[in-house]
Amino acid sequence: MKDTEARLATLARKGDRSAFAGLVDLYKDKMYHLAYRMLGSSHEAEDVAQETFLRVYTNLDRYDENQKFSTWIYRIATNLCIDRLRKRKASYSLDAEMPDGEGADWYSLLPSNQPGPEDEVLLSETQNHIRKAIDTLPEKYKSVVILRYLQDMSLQEIGEVLDMPVTTVKTRVHRGREFLRKKLHSEYGGKLF
Amino acid sequence: MTCDEALPLMHEYLDGSTDGTEAAELKKHLLQCPECNRVFRELEMTDALVKSSPHVAAPDDLTDRIMKSLPVRPKRESWLGWVKRHPAISVASVFLFVMLGSFLSMWSQDQELTVKGSNLDQLVIEDGTVYLPKGHRVSGNLMVRGGDVQIDGELDGNLVVVDGQYHTASTATISGKIYSINQAAEWLVYQVKEIFVPAAQ
Repeated sequence: MKDTEARLATLARKGDRSAFAGLVDLYKDKMYHLAYRMLGSSHEAEDVAQETFLRVYTNLDRYDENQKFSTWIYRIATNLCIDRLRKRKASYSLDAEMPDGEGADWYSLLPSNQPGPEDEVLLSETQNHIRKAIDTLPEKYKSVVILRYLQDMSLQEIGEVLDMPVTTVKTRVHRGREFLRKKLHSEYGGKLF
Repeated sequence: MTCDEALPLMHEYLDGSTDGTEAAELKKHLLQCPECNRVFRELEMTDALVKSSPHVAAPDDLTDRIMKSLPVRPKRESWLGWVKRHPAISVASVFLFVMLGSFLSMWSQDQELTVKGSNLDQLVIEDGTVYLPKGHRVSGNLMVRGGDVQIDGELDGNLVVVDGQYHTASTATISGKIYSINQAAEWLVYQVKEIFVPAAQ
């Protein structure tokens, strides 16, 4: 039997806009959260969430109903985030204007400058440390760690989303965990452990 | 168990993929080795802290903005999709369409008098009419297009008259059949026959 998402996707493909709105409601928070953790900026997280759904919409014809919808949408969103991280790395100067043509520079992407959705919630110092440590994770560990811990995905699912063997996912989870441990130990050791 | 063996096992344990024996061995090592014990506690703490990161929700108006940004799904997608799924039929129908078009344009453009046959010196053409006088003989098929035909002599083959009238006198002998074609469709059938029948022979 098909799950809700696959059924909604099939309806949306036939032109049912309210079915697509249903998919957006089901997944917008997940996509936004994923992008926010990956990129550390609420502005960029919104952009990525919006672009993810746009891509889903324009590629509905290519969606294979036998595949899990969540795997498909997570793959699209993760790839968009990874692309942005790579582009960011490739730009050498923070003063360089961003390619979005809105005149923003790269400083605006720095997490600390962003009035994020978490500002309303008073973050504990510990959570702040963790967030900063995640921000410093190398990209290849970052996506795996975020999918594993913040999206509660199994190693198997992560493998499908990132299109890599489960053994690779496992290695990256281990290395990512080790990276975070060392980071937290060296910077906040006494306070955290 | 050495410390080098213990570290990967700690990760396996935190992944939830150790069996009972492995877990027991790890525990034994952790009780003996304070350094590994510390690392294990830190890893466990890291895991718990990362998991406890608060979920952030998308802005309330995000659904609206997304729905407004969607392009209108073009209707032509439906037949384009069909074309993509049936490439062979699509190509064949385009080919047929072009072929039909060329036949029809040949039909409507070319209204001049055309005579096709083997020994045309036997014929007399006057005022858009083709005469085969008495005593003259044409061997093979005779095709006349865009004009009338008057047969008084002998025709040793088929007579094809396209877009015109034909008359035969009592002296006329026509050994084959007479085709009189006045419709584009009939013309098409005749052309197709011309292409395929000799090839089949």
